[in-house]
Amino acid sequence: MSPALAIARREGGELLCSPRGLAWLLAAAGVLSGFALLLVGSTELGLLDNAQVVYDMAGLTIALGALLALVSGVDAVAGERERGALLPLLATASPRRSIVLGRLGGQALAWSAMLAISAPYLWAVGSTGQNLGAALLGLLLFGTPVALAAGAAAMALGARLRSARAALLASLIALLLVASPLLLGPSLRQSAIGQGFDAVNPFSGATNALDAMVIDGQGLAAQGWHLALVLAWWGLAYAAALRALRPPRRPGEEIVA
Amino acid sequence: MMQDRIPAAAAFAPDAVARTGPAATKDPRPPSSAGPGKQAAGTGILPPLLLAIEGLRVRRAARPVLRDVRLHVARGEVCGLLGPNGAGKTTTILAALGLLVPETGRVRLFGEDPLTAPDALRARLGLVPEGDGLTEWMTAGDYLQHWALLQGRPLGPEEAAALLDEVGLAPPPRLPAARFSQGMRRRLAVARALVASPELLILDEPTNGLDPRGRRQLLELLRGLARRRGVGVLLCTHLLEDVARICDTIAVLVEGRTVAEGALGELVGRAGSQRFRLRLDGPLPAEALARGSPLPMRVVHQAADEIAVELEPGATPATVWRTLLFSGWPICEARAEGGGLEAFYLALTEPGPVHPPQPAEAASQAANDAGPVS
Repeated sequence: MSPALAIARREGGELLCSPRGLAWLLAAAGVLSGFALLLVGSTELGLLDNAQVVYDMAGLTIALGALLALVSGVDAVAGERERGALLPLLATASPRRSIVLGRLGGQALAWSAMLAISAPYLWAVGSTGQNLGAALLGLLLFGTPVALAAGAAAMALGARLRSARAALLASLIALLLVASPLLLGPSLRQSAIGQGFDAVNPFSGATNALDAMVIDGQGLAAQGWHLALVLAWWGLAYAAALRALRPPRRPGEEIVA
Repeated sequence: MMQDRIPAAAAFAPDAVARTGPAATKDPRPPSSAGPGKQAAGTGILPPLLLAIEGLRVRRAARPVLRDVRLHVARGEVCGLLGPNGAGKTTTILAALGLLVPETGRVRLFGEDPLTAPDALRARLGLVPEGDGLTEWMTAGDYLQHWALLQGRPLGPEEAAALLDEVGLAPPPRLPAARFSQGMRRRLAVARALVASPELLILDEPTNGLDPRGRRQLLELLRGLARRRGVGVLLCTHLLEDVARICDTIAVLVEGRTVAEGALGELVGRAGSQRFRLRLDGPLPAEALARGSPLPMRVVHQAADEIAVELEPGATPATVWRTLLFSGWPICEARAEGGGLEAFYLALTEPGPVHPPQPAEAASQAANDAGPVS
């Protein structure tokens, strides 16, 4: 087994075996349950059509998945550094690329768990399965790069900032800013600023693709730009994480402060 | 079983230096730095250096943290790295691992620059940092197997159990590490460092949290690794008793400078004589205090059941006590009275003016002034 796979397996175990990881998954399930009850039980929200409800639930799943990956990313570098686990890891023979890939593999497992948890909710709110296939495909293709980009960016921030708390706060603020398309009203999104923001924002890319696939019933072939956008952000975040964990080059530069 | 995984002890020798002939000038170590009995008789060959640091200077946020650090660890040698809090011991370790870029100076790990060396080089190194950094939900055996994969040397369950046995964690606990006591955590951290059969072990306060028996067991393990398998050990600690018990050489850091480096016995012996109080449970033999004794000691005080003696610089107390016992001295207890490593350390680290560099230090300073060499 390669070091990257070993690290990914350990990260996955951390999520599924440690009380902290299980608590995160339970919390995510709780949020999805609350939102599903709101969608189904509220008189006003109950008027939304089936596709719109599935789209909203899928958007929330991406946000929660990105949050989970972000927390995991902060913990993977800044948290491990504070617990004294990063130093022995960097002193092993594992290449830095394997360490970053392994961590991202763990975040991919966390996102997979998130997808698995969200599937029954998507099925339930979509009137027993309508639009479920399109939503799951959209989440897989567009949600995965967004969640992994959040995780990788959090790793990069965790390596740059001195404490895990500072890294977590900075990452959460960044996530709120980037995920703002989920909160913006339609009129603001159609302004020039909103359209420019939409054109480059990874969350916009993912939610617009979901919108097109689930609500408008468009095919996957029409989502090329959205796919390129989310993949570009993933690539950028991965490069940033790799750069943050590379061996130091300038005098005084270090990773394990 | 563990022996099977040990690489050929003599595989590495890039820094082996002959003391004879012109090559003698290339040896960066001070004359006393070879461990006792390490220099092969007649050949003048020193054990190969696993870690060599010369004239290391490091700045952090424009503040000099290391000013001139010199450190050498040879194969089969236990080197104690001493110094007050904030002296730069951990920074030195980071530089040795290639996790920090020095301003100037030369770091060689197994003869290579750790900043540019291939990743596989680090498999030859075992590290026990101050914090355990264990994976809390894993059992000890699973954790070691996981770590062995990271080092590129997979480990079977039986080998993991043998390694745990070696550090005193037998039978392997089936609990997750989160439920380990502090001592068990330290032992597991040591086992983790040994997982790839390292040639060089770097340990930062490894005996923290260990009970007296565990501490002794760990120190004996380290000494055994050095003696039997030729592992070089760099032991960073504040416990002078541990250093006195197992170290062959020491390096003392004060305010980012190496103020002393060399063989423990020679440095401490050179620093002054050692005074001991011997408790007696009977009268001394008639000829005990006759003049002309060949023993390297003198009696400074004598009472009915107690006698104070001062050993000459360089004398080994254990050898003297053995000789005295054979001569019929009824010694039932020997207690050090000042002197020794503690007095040497306290004298070096006493707050005050910066210690003048030793001759070797001055040479290394001159090399630094000539420009970066790393």
